[in-house]
Amino acid sequence: MKIGIYPGCCFQGADIHNYDITVNFLENMGVEWVLLDKAACCGGGVIDETNKKIVYGLNARNIALAEEKGVDLYTPCNTCYMVIARTKLALDSDPKLKDKINELLAEEGLEYKGEAKIYHTLNLIRDFIGLENYKSKIKRKLSAKVAPYYGCHVLAPNETAIDDPENPTLLREILEPLGVEIIEGYKNEMTCCGYHARFTDPEQKERLAVKPLEGAKEAGADLVATPCPLCHKAMDGYEEPILQVTQLINLACGNSEKEAHLDFNKTKVNLKLS
Amino acid sequence: MKKIKYTARIKRYDPDTNKSYFQDFEVEVEDSLTVLELLMYIKDKIDSTLTFRAFCRSAICGSCAMIINGRAGLACKIQAKDKIKNGVITIEPLNHLPVVRDLVVDQEPAFNKLKKVKPYLVPDPKVVPDNTKVESLVLPEEFKRYDKQTDCILCMACYGQCNALEGDEKYLGPFQLVKAFRFIMDTRDGVDVEERIKLVEDHGIWDCVQCQMCLAACPKGIAPCDDILELRRIAKDTGEENIATRRAKFWFATVYETGQIDKFHLPEVAFGDERGKEITKKLEEEFKSRGMSEDEFAPKPFEGIEKFRNFIKKLEKEL
Repeated sequence: MKIGIYPGCCFQGADIHNYDITVNFLENMGVEWVLLDKAACCGGGVIDETNKKIVYGLNARNIALAEEKGVDLYTPCNTCYMVIARTKLALDSDPKLKDKINELLAEEGLEYKGEAKIYHTLNLIRDFIGLENYKSKIKRKLSAKVAPYYGCHVLAPNETAIDDPENPTLLREILEPLGVEIIEGYKNEMTCCGYHARFTDPEQKERLAVKPLEGAKEAGADLVATPCPLCHKAMDGYEEPILQVTQLINLACGNSEKEAHLDFNKTKVNLKLS
Repeated sequence: MKKIKYTARIKRYDPDTNKSYFQDFEVEVEDSLTVLELLMYIKDKIDSTLTFRAFCRSAICGSCAMIINGRAGLACKIQAKDKIKNGVITIEPLNHLPVVRDLVVDQEPAFNKLKKVKPYLVPDPKVVPDNTKVESLVLPEEFKRYDKQTDCILCMACYGQCNALEGDEKYLGPFQLVKAFRFIMDTRDGVDVEERIKLVEDHGIWDCVQCQMCLAACPKGIAPCDDILELRRIAKDTGEENIATRRAKFWFATVYETGQIDKFHLPEVAFGDERGKEITKKLEEEFKSRGMSEDEFAPKPFEGIEKFRNFIKKLEKEL
């Protein structure tokens, strides 16, 4: 069982610790990994504003890098997952586009075959690790009321959604074994965090980010848990704390709070560990 | 045909009492019903006061868009049996529009926003003949650029699902921006691109959060979120510089240089003022306090970056 870690922008600068969180998570799960070190930015829905075709090329190349190493591609980021998965759909349904990009990829000795699967933390646990195997790795229980927050890009578009977009249960199935109490059905639980408006309309991001947090707090949650590092970044720093699901998993697998990088959270989290 | 039992949980609104509430209807109906047929059954057999808007029953008039299990869609296009979750199907009016009664919303505010983008062709005298004897030709490859967008039936499913409207009620809306894109792409249109772009900038293209929900909602397979990115591209290339266009240019430039976006310098470049400098300065302090060395602040090119740059150049030129 080996997976290729796709390094997106959530692994750099102020978010560099996300790399440790990801690696610790895979090691806690007993998953072997290799870093796709020549991978490039997925485009983040921004390079489309220069040229959409470059986005197809970038991600054909990213997937080809995984295929070269004989592994599937894993990214913890909702947006990277969605953008790469949408590219895969486009390439697999358009042989002309695929052939043309492969012609250009040949200069780097790469080929997009369409064999590698695209994984995000949620479907990695369900389909690659397996939920039963995942549960067997958990060593201790966390005591907290946790509000699951999926983030948009694992549930839309429908063609790349990881779970039933109307009635998703996967995040609950992943969080419950950690011993936490799940708070669902809170106000604005499906409202966007606004991350992608940070540098197009910063006020829009501020107005949105706080909405799910307020809903979760109102419903009595101690913290919000999201699989997405971008949602985490957008929503950290308000009254209600938010953590990434992999941080909680790492804690439950025995990592210390420091190893799980709780210290980098702007809004501090109080968790009871048994 | 098989009969099935389930609960239709419908959001009601009575304007006389100004009360909004969910009402459960227990039904035992044929499993072949669309959501619209289910509503018609309830109105016919259980409660004649249930109010909804519908007409063609064929997913073309755009009257019956509503929220079904939290997702917007056309009631006449969706099979009810596919939407039963734990024995319940939940039906609500579209979001972001005033409810008139039950599932009927007032579409006027969204149409008023549509009017702001000049949603019509202003014939270009250089292209469109001034008499009816000569056809105004559009080549297939020209029409392809906005063919899909002409399928919009103004059902407002995208509008009722839009996250940008959640943050800004003045936001123009997804289908309105699709319409703007469609006329910019039309070779017969005589309005300057710059003028059309100006119409979509205020509470428009920069407010979109790219959540992809409009794409998921559209019954015609249109992707407003993608068209919004195209409008941003056109605005970047033809309009005035702003935080978003600076961000887009910098994003591409640093990905070309190193393979990754330089998030360290991004705030400084995008904001282009003291606020941005302040953010980048704070980042620098944070990095230093973490013991990071300066070459870890921003991404460095990976080995073989020249070939990567060459690949990008060729994508731009040849694809």
